Amino acid sequence: MTAAPPSSALPRAGLIDPQTLMSIRNLELRARVVVEGFWSGLHRSPYHGFSVEFTEYRQYTPGDDPRYLDWRVFARSDRYFLKRFEDETNLRCHLVADQSRSMSFSSLKYTKAEYAATLAASLGYFLHLQGDAIGLLTFDERVRDYLPPRHRFGHLRRLMLSLEKPAAGRATDIIAPLQRVAEIVRKRGLIVVISDFLAPLDRLENALIQLAACGHEVVAFQVLDPAEATFKFNEPAVFEDLETGRTLMIDPGTVRTDYTRRLEEHCTAVREICQRLGNTCSRLTTDQPLEFALFDFLRSRMQRGKAVKRVTRQHSAPAGQAR
Amino acid sequence: MNFLAPLFLLGALAVALPVIYHLVRRTTRERTVFSSLMFLRPAPPRLTRRNRLEHLLLLLLRCAVIGLLAVGFARPFLKRALPEAASAGAPKRIVVLLDTSASMRRGRLWTEARDKAEVILRAASPADQAALFTFDRQLNPLISFEQWKSIPAGDRAALAHQRLAEAKAGWTGTLLDQALIRAAEMLAETDKGQVAGPRQVVLITDLQSGSRLNALQGYDWPKGVELVVERVAPRSAGNAGLHWVADSTDAPRTAEATVRVRVSNEPDSQREQFQVGWAGASGAFLSNAVDLYVPPGQSRVVALPVPPTAAGADRVLLRGDDEAFDNTVFVVPPEPARVSVLYLGSESETDIRQPLYFLRRAFQETRRQSVRVAAQKPSASLNSVEVTAANLLVVTDTLPPAQARVLQEQVSRGKTLLFAPTSATSAATLGALLGSAETRLDEAPSTRYAMLSEIDFRHPLFTPFADARFSDFTKIHFWKYRRLDDAALAGAKVVARFDSGDPALVEISVGQGRVLVLTSGWHPADSQLALSSKFVPLLYSMLELSGAAPPAPAQFIVGDAVPLPHESAQTNAALSIVRPDGSMLALSAGTTNFTETLAPGIYRLGTGPTAQRFAVNLDAAESRTAPLPMDELERLGAPTSRAALAVTQEKERKVQLQNAELEGRQKLWRWFIVATLAVLLIETWLAGRTARRLAATGGTA
Repeated sequence: MTAAPPSSALPRAGLIDPQTLMSIRNLELRARVVVEGFWSGLHRSPYHGFSVEFTEYRQYTPGDDPRYLDWRVFARSDRYFLKRFEDETNLRCHLVADQSRSMSFSSLKYTKAEYAATLAASLGYFLHLQGDAIGLLTFDERVRDYLPPRHRFGHLRRLMLSLEKPAAGRATDIIAPLQRVAEIVRKRGLIVVISDFLAPLDRLENALIQLAACGHEVVAFQVLDPAEATFKFNEPAVFEDLETGRTLMIDPGTVRTDYTRRLEEHCTAVREICQRLGNTCSRLTTDQPLEFALFDFLRSRMQRGKAVKRVTRQHSAPAGQAR
Repeated sequence: MNFLAPLFLLGALAVALPVIYHLVRRTTRERTVFSSLMFLRPAPPRLTRRNRLEHLLLLLLRCAVIGLLAVGFARPFLKRALPEAASAGAPKRIVVLLDTSASMRRGRLWTEARDKAEVILRAASPADQAALFTFDRQLNPLISFEQWKSIPAGDRAALAHQRLAEAKAGWTGTLLDQALIRAAEMLAETDKGQVAGPRQVVLITDLQSGSRLNALQGYDWPKGVELVVERVAPRSAGNAGLHWVADSTDAPRTAEATVRVRVSNEPDSQREQFQVGWAGASGAFLSNAVDLYVPPGQSRVVALPVPPTAAGADRVLLRGDDEAFDNTVFVVPPEPARVSVLYLGSESETDIRQPLYFLRRAFQETRRQSVRVAAQKPSASLNSVEVTAANLLVVTDTLPPAQARVLQEQVSRGKTLLFAPTSATSAATLGALLGSAETRLDEAPSTRYAMLSEIDFRHPLFTPFADARFSDFTKIHFWKYRRLDDAALAGAKVVARFDSGDPALVEISVGQGRVLVLTSGWHPADSQLALSSKFVPLLYSMLELSGAAPPAPAQFIVGDAVPLPHESAQTNAALSIVRPDGSMLALSAGTTNFTETLAPGIYRLGTGPTAQRFAVNLDAAESRTAPLPMDELERLGAPTSRAALAVTQEKERKVQLQNAELEGRQKLWRWFIVATLAVLLIETWLAGRTARRLAATGGTA
């Protein structure tokens, strides 16, 4: 689990302001802008040479397959290095996007749902560029759209169209869609869940356990509006729940501390559940650049790769010793 | 600090508006949608002091702006003694007119009016000159200017109190115009070079619409005399009045005697149902009362049959009205005055060519007067009772000397005798009547008819004809007349002459009485006089001249002078009058009029069975109690523009004026406006600064 980097702590240079980004109407174009910006930024970033299934560089030794020589490195350094990859072909990624009514809340010019859709589209585009098969499942109180993972021409387009549908749900039930994913996706794969996770914790944990039991790797993005995170309201007012329609007379000045404390507790609990199950959970507010999400995503993948490698080594060492 | 317009200070209450607005804003039910309420608990806004007043200094400054503005508008000033104005110290001259008419008997009007008068006189400064008068039909001085000046200043209030305590509301009408004119003239007269101060007529009255104001119409109100009206008003408005509608004196007598009364209801009256009926001295209805419906502003006349004299009913009462002062009418059923004429002539009564025939027909009996003509032959002996009772003696024929002497005695005691000889042979009789030895009468030549000319219209006999419309006597032709040498008669006064210059009607004084000599007869053989329209009035003039009681009016109004019977003046006999309250008043001999009709009721003249009764009632105008508009006096030229302020409030007004002057000099309000502007500037600066700071903190957050 990685905490969201504070927006002021990171250099803003090269990152795209979400406000500007969201003013682009076309979702695919938005995703492309994010990913290409991310790539170009990556060259200047300290995270060199990461890829989806990339694990490490290794010095060439005679006898290695020359196909895996990195000629670019050779051109730069006059040394032979091999690229090591874990799994080049079998990554099947499901993007699970929440389109419930609570995601339509906004204190900025765009909603959480639009931000989540852009995030999903960016990840999809990024993975599509990698040549991975991407599937999509959108839900509110039930599953709305389901696109099985494919890597073929036009699939990305359909994915984008599906993400562009406006959120029309009345309530959130994240549990049933996750269970539905567990039922549909038989092969192990990567499941990226983008939601605000404003749901009861016990049932959420059950659903995540079910996914983990199926062997899926789950990456969770919790998307929150800045107003939700800080509760920066000033005037007393009647607050209406977007999903249930319930109203409460609230003086923000008096409840702000209690609210932020309870929200923090909830987010921490979600994060702990994910960590316990070996998954990652990133928290994003809609005023943060989407590149952070990509960074988080790649970092989680990298850690996941190291962990796998570590596990593999641990598994292979006794075998070697046995040999 | 004092304020000229302290009501503006209420504007400072507007300070509460920002705070109230603030509180109202706090409790608005603005709706805000939020993604999920799962982390929120109900927290209604708490109105803590911190919540209400966030920018205390700004709020205070804004409140100060409102407060300063309110104080500025209230026109503050610092109390300081002003140098006395030159005119302020000048002594005033006041005439206080206190209404004592009958309408002041309503409710507590009289007490209130008296108290007001006392307050006004107490408020007068030692240098002021005041006079106190009561008025109704006439002006009665209670305290004159001279009396006021003659007593020490300290005793004046006590004198006023004493005089006012003695005064009472009367029963008479209100001649407001006369009283005002008299008072204004008093101030105008005494003003010449004496007093420089203001002159005021203070009128304390109920100002009822029945007050007479006609004389003010053409009156030029003296300059500098101001009229201050102190009005007293009853607690409940409205009044109904009862009045006797007297029949015309010429109306013929009818078999059934009725008395007509009018019930008039004032426009502001609350009542409509009344009862009218005969009553006795006890004040209870003697017979069934008549129910009347009189809407406000209207009047009804009802005829009541006169009850038998034995019933003792002498008044008509009105029930159903709250104001009792005009609800009783005293009624004395009119009795015709009896006048007797003694005719001495030898002709037959039925002979239509003789004077007696016309004389009888000239005196017709009317409702108010019954003239009895007693005819006697000259040859018959004279009935002394008849002669004494007769008001007018008429002789047309020659009388025996004895009878002529009797008549001459009667005439010399005061009787009037008309001598109209039908022939010149009666000269001796005339001589006997006049008491002179020789009197000549000649038959005038009858070549042509004669006409009357040179008529003395100032003589009581011809006064009724003085108007040019009635003064033409030329249509009466006299065929025959007797020539009388007036120059030979001592004390003869020719009232009318024929066109030939001969006397036609001569008045000759004999002792206390008089003999009227008409040198022609009125019968057709002598002239056309009996057939002319002048004949009857001429005879009645003679009757009046003879002292026969003129027809008395059916009723008198309180304050009227009641003419006394002629005999009393002639006989020098003392008379007594019994007032309605039973008290007796002895009139001195020779009194011709009784003027002390001060209260309504039935007065009796004389005692015993021959006593004459007459009713005195209230002036009908007094029942019109609806208040007169104040501008009516203004319209008639009395300067009441500043009169709205009572004299009792004069001091207050003066203080107000002084305050206004002080405020006008100090003009403190300008400083308050400057202070307001200064505070506004500070407030603007502070508000801008606060807003910038808030924006800055909001931006960084």
